[in-house]
Amino acid sequence: MKHLIPEFERLKTRLPPGHDATLLVPCLRRIQEDRGFIDNSDIDGLVEYLGIPRIQIEEALSFYGMLRRKPIGRWHLQVCRNVSCSMRGAERLIDQLIGKLGVQPGETTPDGRFTLSTVECLGSCGTAPVVMVNEAYHENLSAADLDALLERLD
Amino acid sequence: MTGRKVLMDFEVTPTSHSLDDYRARGGYEALEKVLRTMKPREVTQEIVDSGLQGRGGAAFPAGRKWQGIDPDDGQPHYLIANADEGEPGTFKDRWVLEYTPHTLLESMLLSCYALGVRHCFVYIRGEYDLPWRRLDAAVEEAYAAGYFGENILGSDFSCDLFVFRGAGAYVCGEASSLLGSIEGTRAFPRNRPPRMTVRGLHQAPTVVNNVETLATIAWIIRNGASAFREVGTEKSPGTRLISISGHIARPGVYEVELGYSWARFLHEDCGGVLGGRPLKAVIPGGISSQVLTGKDAKVLTAGEVEGLTLDHEKLRSAGSSLGSGGMIVIAEGTCMVRLLQIMLRFYHHESCGQCTPCREGTGWMHRIIDRIVAGDGRPEDLERLNYIAGFNDGTTICGLGDAAGYAATAMLDNFREEFDYFIEHKRSKFAGNLE
Amino acid sequence: MTAIFINGQPVETGEHTTVLQAALANGFYIPHFCWHPALSIVGNCRVCVVEQEGRGVGIACNMPISDGMRVLTDSDPVRAQRKAMLQFILLNHPVDCGICDKAGECALQDYHYEYNGEPAISGDPKLPSTKFFPLSERILLDNERCILCSRCVRFTREISKSNVLGLEHRGDSMLVRPAEGRTLDDDPYSDNVVDICPVGALLSRSFLYQSRVWYLEPTPSVCPGCARGCTVQLWHRKAEWRVKGLDERHNTRIHRVTPLENPRVNGPWICNKGRDLPELLDRPRATQALQKGETVSLMQAIEAARGLLDQAGKRVALVSSWGSNEELRAFRNSLGDYFTSFVKPDHLPLEGEVVEDDLLIRADKNPNTRAGQDLLGAGVVQIPEDTDLILVWGEGTDFGTLPRGAKILFLGSWLLPENGHADVFIPISIQTERRGHYTNFEGVVSAFEPCQPRRDGVIDAETLFPLLSAPGGSASGGGAA
Repeated sequence: MKHLIPEFERLKTRLPPGHDATLLVPCLRRIQEDRGFIDNSDIDGLVEYLGIPRIQIEEALSFYGMLRRKPIGRWHLQVCRNVSCSMRGAERLIDQLIGKLGVQPGETTPDGRFTLSTVECLGSCGTAPVVMVNEAYHENLSAADLDALLERLD
Repeated sequence: MTGRKVLMDFEVTPTSHSLDDYRARGGYEALEKVLRTMKPREVTQEIVDSGLQGRGGAAFPAGRKWQGIDPDDGQPHYLIANADEGEPGTFKDRWVLEYTPHTLLESMLLSCYALGVRHCFVYIRGEYDLPWRRLDAAVEEAYAAGYFGENILGSDFSCDLFVFRGAGAYVCGEASSLLGSIEGTRAFPRNRPPRMTVRGLHQAPTVVNNVETLATIAWIIRNGASAFREVGTEKSPGTRLISISGHIARPGVYEVELGYSWARFLHEDCGGVLGGRPLKAVIPGGISSQVLTGKDAKVLTAGEVEGLTLDHEKLRSAGSSLGSGGMIVIAEGTCMVRLLQIMLRFYHHESCGQCTPCREGTGWMHRIIDRIVAGDGRPEDLERLNYIAGFNDGTTICGLGDAAGYAATAMLDNFREEFDYFIEHKRSKFAGNLE
Repeated sequence: MTAIFINGQPVETGEHTTVLQAALANGFYIPHFCWHPALSIVGNCRVCVVEQEGRGVGIACNMPISDGMRVLTDSDPVRAQRKAMLQFILLNHPVDCGICDKAGECALQDYHYEYNGEPAISGDPKLPSTKFFPLSERILLDNERCILCSRCVRFTREISKSNVLGLEHRGDSMLVRPAEGRTLDDDPYSDNVVDICPVGALLSRSFLYQSRVWYLEPTPSVCPGCARGCTVQLWHRKAEWRVKGLDERHNTRIHRVTPLENPRVNGPWICNKGRDLPELLDRPRATQALQKGETVSLMQAIEAARGLLDQAGKRVALVSSWGSNEELRAFRNSLGDYFTSFVKPDHLPLEGEVVEDDLLIRADKNPNTRAGQDLLGAGVVQIPEDTDLILVWGEGTDFGTLPRGAKILFLGSWLLPENGHADVFIPISIQTERRGHYTNFEGVVSAFEPCQPRRDGVIDAETLFPLLSAPGGSASGGGAA
């Protein structure tokens, strides 16, 4: 994470002074974006950079659902299965993905291409069902749309 | 049309979120006026006079919350825009962030001025990508234009804004919980007292307002409290952004003048129930409506909806609330047992685990409903659900446990025979249908 | 003065700021798991509920006192909520009291009987979790029993500041865990978490399955491990539970050490060294008087000691900093004018031991240096080469460093090689065999009581000193005051 420190320093300029720990979640997110996951060495680096105890970082890592300690597939397919999406076909999409990818939610395809996850509400209820692929929302997805989407992700 | 507009009073175009477009429609004029002519307390008074209620779920008067802060007490103060929009069925703040982020920014500047805030935050939910990009770009535009930073527009008012992206925790939508997140810890809701306006972020007086609430401030300052009072009803002035989803022909975000006919909204503006099916129920304000403070998440049945208007007092008298403005329409033929299963799974998944009743109760209810859906329900399960729900109500640190309880009791109260049927026949009365 | 009404009775709240504190201080018990007087308020267990008349039920630990407020600690809604909270807590708790060390002093067990008393209403199987998770060489964690009150976590953050423990994951998956790569071995105060755990989730390995607590009783004592002089409870079998079926050692040994809360000295805490006192006290004892390594009777040894005193011209005493106030006074009164006396450290910091910190631990690893120096001066040990007799009282002196020509009279409690090298060795009692006081480094005096029978063949130093200076013995000429 050391090469990201200049970026973190820039973030500090808009924060009240003396409260650097605010950067914990922003740093973790940025590190994950950079490396794909958060490594032990990153935690050590943050302990030193932010001056906070390691346990505080580990608590946060295990609390926030988007943060991960291990690498995942190239494409992270996160299917919302909350109320509105389920009312618009999310459960069928999940079954379709399980069938097509041959993995259960929480698993990665052996070729490392896809990781399938189910998630709770993504705030895309009006355009349900939604699948989040890495950062991007794919909304109003039909079965055919989903097939076409998978084709585009290599 | 859904009545007069406060936020959606412009045409959405590919550039309507930009600073130029915002200025072209009068943007940042209120800020200039305030910095030249108004004292901080006068801004607060204007908000008090407007009768603006919080739009996040609890409908607490925004001005009264602000009055909890003395702008001249010499302490640092903080303002946080709560954009951690995670309440299932709710996606209205996203509209503000994507289409008019400068409305939020100008409003926050006005608020910071009123409250004596030097550093403010937008806490935006971690999954929101486009809304964050739009907001982030707007913040940079605003900084470049001199609306943030030192000595804004040549005044002695200085203010910095930090956009804080969450990392996937519904409970952060609870105002005290997101404080922990900003302080660099996992996010546990905090006991009251103290109120956040007494000891909030970094132990300093803090106001946390919902995005929509804040976004309304600019309009109020620009047009005056009395003009705002003319919109909506006497007790619920203004408008609400309603995000409507589920079995509805035209889902999306609508700005609805408070007091508007609910039936008209559903059947005309939103095109009625999807596929022309009869209406079974409506969850009016997010599945927990008031996960952040209160008491409703009540499912309204079709008959109840017809005579209602959309405003806080009417819904309250109907035993529910506008909550977060996340309306979910449920058509006849939907299995309410499965729907409750999804809700209880959600609360179980999102319980922070801090306090006993929610930590244990949400998991307990989830396991019971899973068992019922698996065809292994027992007659005593429903009483058990009611018992657990009852002791999640009012016994927890934040409203998440309450909300889980309300969801269960509301469903059991209104659709008891479906649950009895499921347990007795070991299958859904509606074949488990959700669509 | 602020007055509130608890169950209709007026109560002066004094300096207390919350209803829970005021109630406890005035004899109204309110059950509580997560609240602890020395830790921050988190209000997570939700058991300490009371009803504020007109305002409903709320948690007492975070309920500020307002003048004239009326609270009920045992109303119907309060009882109902407590019952429900206990149902929630017991949902996945194994209720394995029969094999749990905490049984008998477990808050959950007590509250269940007192406030719930009903079988579990859940018919579903309990969820399994980790058993015997090692937190250190000293402590095991049972996550099934844990009720996530976070007392242990807060202790490591707010008191010991080791920051070892945390709550990982969320919801009902939440677990107490140490930071990766760390254990509670990093925390010299770790064993306090075993005490403050309101249930049997944190287990002391040295006490694991050693005794049911109801067979034990505590004797107040003072930890001799450093100059802080923390007051402690030494737990040993009750007299009526000393049974023939057990060996003598098991009947009389100290099973565990816990803090004896003392706001003037150690608050509610002690360090791990204090917990390990039984090891120190269980070392092989010297019970045989010796003269030049030869076995003699205690009376013969005392006679021989008097002889040494008679013959000596220049006498130096190395006085034990483990002697009690009473013993030190007896020494000064009987022998003080006769010897040039130096109070010496019986113990020095061991390798790897925390020397000193901001909480309790002091660099002086002896309990009573202060009292000795107050009585005998704080001079640095200096033994002239022409010294005739050296009285060595207590451990820690290497005889090889003493002048070769000097005779050595050694008073000690432990079976050590030096015993045989002394001209006269007299075995003396240890702290757990007698009554006495220590004065800590700040001048606070604390008492200890006996809890073990005095070994045959040993004498209390307090009794011995007057005998050495009794008429007929030459030391009487020393003009003891």
